[in-house]
Amino acid sequence: MSLISTRDLTQRYPRGVTALDGLTLELEPGIIGLVGANGAGKTTLIKILLGLLEPTSGEASVMDLDVRAQGTTIRQFVGYMPEYDCLPPDSSATDFVTHMARMSGLPSTAARERAAEVLRHVGLYEERYRAIGGYSTGMKQRVKLAQALVHDPRLLLLDEPTNGLDPAGRDEMLALVRRTGTEFGIAVVVASHLLGEIERVCDYLVAIDAGRLIRAAPLGAFTERTGVLAIEVEEGEVALTAALIARGLHAVADGRTVLVAVEDDRPYDIVRDAIVDLGLPLVRLEQRRQSLEDLFRDDVATAPVGGGGDG
Amino acid sequence: MTGSTPASGPGGSIYDLGYQSYDGPRLGRPSAVRALFAQTVRACFGIGRGGRAKIAPFGLAALAILPAILAVGFSALAAQAGSAGGAIEDASPIRYESYHGFVGILIMLFCAAQAPELFGRDQRYNVLPLYFSRALTRTDYAISKVGGLVVALLVVELSPYLILFAGRVFVAPDPAIGLADEIAALPRFLLQGALVAGLLGGLASLIAAWTPRRAYATATIIAVFIIPPIIVGLIGNLASQDLARAIILFSPADVLDGTNAATFGSIPDSPVVASVDLPDWAYFAAAAVGMVGSVGLTIRRYLRIAT
Repeated sequence: MSLISTRDLTQRYPRGVTALDGLTLELEPGIIGLVGANGAGKTTLIKILLGLLEPTSGEASVMDLDVRAQGTTIRQFVGYMPEYDCLPPDSSATDFVTHMARMSGLPSTAARERAAEVLRHVGLYEERYRAIGGYSTGMKQRVKLAQALVHDPRLLLLDEPTNGLDPAGRDEMLALVRRTGTEFGIAVVVASHLLGEIERVCDYLVAIDAGRLIRAAPLGAFTERTGVLAIEVEEGEVALTAALIARGLHAVADGRTVLVAVEDDRPYDIVRDAIVDLGLPLVRLEQRRQSLEDLFRDDVATAPVGGGGDG
Repeated sequence: MTGSTPASGPGGSIYDLGYQSYDGPRLGRPSAVRALFAQTVRACFGIGRGGRAKIAPFGLAALAILPAILAVGFSALAAQAGSAGGAIEDASPIRYESYHGFVGILIMLFCAAQAPELFGRDQRYNVLPLYFSRALTRTDYAISKVGGLVVALLVVELSPYLILFAGRVFVAPDPAIGLADEIAALPRFLLQGALVAGLLGGLASLIAAWTPRRAYATATIIAVFIIPPIIVGLIGNLASQDLARAIILFSPADVLDGTNAATFGSIPDSPVVASVDLPDWAYFAAAAVGMVGSVGLTIRRYLRIAT
């Protein structure tokens, strides 16, 4: 079974914004990370898969069902957690999640039982009877996940699930997503602009930029070639760059930082030796992977560095 | 959250079963639509909410019923009075044909109080994407909401008529004769009740669906029912009857006054409605167009709304 399949999917908004530009994808069930900068088209893709948006052109199907013709059937088996706040503050988590279960077609007794179960699964206990308006961001994110899970979907679409969470909250949310995907066999698509998060949770990565597919591959294939070592020195970056290139590494200077492509363990010793030989004052040595551009480009020397994934 | 690890204590062990898959029935779209409709009717009366949410709907419903109860008591007293009772009965101002002028205003207030919450809440708090990514369609959502409001309005609108009806039947010396006397009024007030609930509910839905801000929606709903009759009345009195005749069908309150007078064969409450002398069918047609149009435009709003 193909989980998600799109062909030449294009979405243009009024005023000439192209959110998706001929996107063709073929995804098997699993935990799939959808990475891209803000505005890359992640949310648009998710909305098309849910039938919330009608694509301008092209085709898309979920679980071999066409999103245009069989949207209602698809939506019974899909759970969606939107990026932004979507909870009525005057309702309790129990009432709201029960209501959402009924909106997915569950009978009323089953809806109540499932709501209680799923809220416990996401870690909301006594507080679930209180009005959502008084919840912390972390609790609200949990309610959002619970409403997406309450009807036991086959596919879970999560749009920036760690939005607004503190580091501990992020860890818990990611662990929850991972557990939901692995232990219960629910296919998960996690959209995020934070690669560091995605790679902790997913088995498969889809990278999009400006509405186009950059790469879709198992996570391992990405990380093998993505290492960038950033070496910050107080002075002598030009000499260091030259020395590293002379020793056969891909290196480029960026201000006081020298970036080196890391494909195996070899560069670490070479970098250490080069710095010692030149007697340079080393400030920092770090593995850089959080920048999407580091990930996407094939050659460190050909692309600008530093801005991360904005744009 | 910790899988099925047992938490042991002196009293035994607690097992957290965590997430379980669901193998029970999935009733799909029809079930979701029924559930939303029922939830909307309940929400109209504040059921499932705190006490404060119930004040407006139940207060208005009680006000609507009160005159009917008084009228029934009045009839009972009149029946005690024997032959003189007929005169007392005829003097009673609370009758089927005159009830609209009173209950119509309460229905309008009910709409102004409840429709904005019903339609605005899901838009204000961005809940619509959660609905539209589930088993029901946008049209299902709109129809369930409008339908729920109209049914709640029907309950408030028809209760006093039914109390009046039942009271008059049982106050009569012989209920069988009482029923025979009163039965003619039944289809009339059912028709007028349906028109009031349909037109006012439809228009209030349309306004509330387009105006997520609660206060604005409430003010607009009240304005749409209060201001046009004033304008029509001024034009009829000061300018020309022809102009008043041309625009009166755009005034929902006057249209329902017209249908009420036509249904019961009585004199309209508004002197302008009486003086423009439009045929009866014009009011019914205007009410029907208003109902279908407002419901259609409400559905259209939800088909177009960006999520």
